[in-house]
Amino acid sequence: MTTEHDGQDAVDDWDYDDVYDPNEDEPYTSYEGALCSYTEYREGPPVEDLPATGDGAEGIEADVWEALYGIDDPEMPISIVDLGLIYDVAVDDAVARVDMTLTYSGCPAREMLLGQVERDVTAIDGVDEVELRLVWSPEWSLELVTDRGKADLKEFGLSV
Amino acid sequence: MSAVDALDERGRRALETLCLRLADDEFVLAERYTEWQVRAPSLESDLALSNIAQDELGHARLWYDVLAELGHDERELVYERAPDEWRHSTLAELPFAEGDWADAIVRSYLYDVAEEIRLSALEDSSYPTIADRVGKIQGEEGYHLEHAQNWMERLARDEGHERLQEAVDRLFPHALTLFEPCAPPRGAEDASGDEPRAAAVEDDIVELGLRDSTLAEMGEQWLSTVVPYLESLELTVPASGDDEEGYAVTDEMLPDQRGRDGNHTDAWFELHEEFTHTYRDLGREQATRIMDPPE
Repeated sequence: MTTEHDGQDAVDDWDYDDVYDPNEDEPYTSYEGALCSYTEYREGPPVEDLPATGDGAEGIEADVWEALYGIDDPEMPISIVDLGLIYDVAVDDAVARVDMTLTYSGCPAREMLLGQVERDVTAIDGVDEVELRLVWSPEWSLELVTDRGKADLKEFGLSV
Repeated sequence: MSAVDALDERGRRALETLCLRLADDEFVLAERYTEWQVRAPSLESDLALSNIAQDELGHARLWYDVLAELGHDERELVYERAPDEWRHSTLAELPFAEGDWADAIVRSYLYDVAEEIRLSALEDSSYPTIADRVGKIQGEEGYHLEHAQNWMERLARDEGHERLQEAVDRLFPHALTLFEPCAPPRGAEDASGDEPRAAAVEDDIVELGLRDSTLAEMGEQWLSTVVPYLESLELTVPASGDDEEGYAVTDEMLPDQRGRDGNHTDAWFELHEEFTHTYRDLGREQATRIMDPPE
């Protein structure tokens, strides 16, 4: 299982000894930038497409959504899907990609939630690997809580 | 192709250098703030500063996550990096004198003005992972400055004024290091004397559009915000860099240790020793699990 958020596989040969030395390399010249201006790199769907709830998902993707609905926020009895943390799910060739966010950057339950998503999604028949991406844009807000989520929070005693 | 794969070596070096300074500032300042836990002057101020510390730790994490795209590991960056490989401003590392609440407030004010300026210079970063997290951080930062200014104005009224002035005198030169170029780490030694290399990497950061303002521009913007504000509270600013040409950070205004080159005050080495102590003592290689994950 690999995940992108821990970056383990990103670059092997990048370490502090590999020092860029302007005196050794070609003379310093200004340059336009190494990113391709024709490629869309940004992540995260437009906010009007959220919350993502898995409506209409089929096959293994539907199973992934079902597993995600089964995971509750650690502090409140509300599923992470109804809380609006899941931005996208796509399954391709037994690799499940899940884009999710957290309500707060300093969330102490981060590792716990990410670990649970990875475990529960990997356990699905037909999923060999989970690619979990933690995304921060668009920012989570109360707007992203589903109607069912709002009802759950109300039941719990929170007004939203 | 992901954005990180699209970067050449120079781009990667610029990205690494930028994110290290951002992450290290946040982490070390949070580490200092937590010293106020259960010691702040009131329960409310205790909770406020603890919460600000938690925010800054969260933001440090967001920047360490960008470094993870370059193959770094958060645990190694925090617990296994030699202290002179850290790139935070010396403002973040200075110790608090016991009970000197005015120091925490002035420090927070000086830092949060700078943070606001640098976050807006990152909003349109050419590197998507940076741009994608700026909004989240800004959304959590607004209260920090409000908290600091609210306290500044209360303290400035009475006997707190003298304490504020002492804190300004002590902290101001170190705050200017927030706008110093950052020398990429070389391994187990600081990179002082490496100014041309630091300047070249800093140029790359701006040319690549990772950040859209130069350090000099941000320093000038910071001075033009901070100096009039402090003066409005009848505080004297040690050297404002204000002449007929406008505000500018100059070399003689800076302290000996600037942090950005890995050259830090003694207090940093003590703090580093302290927060890595348990990690080293236990010989941990990974976080302890209370129980095995369910089958």
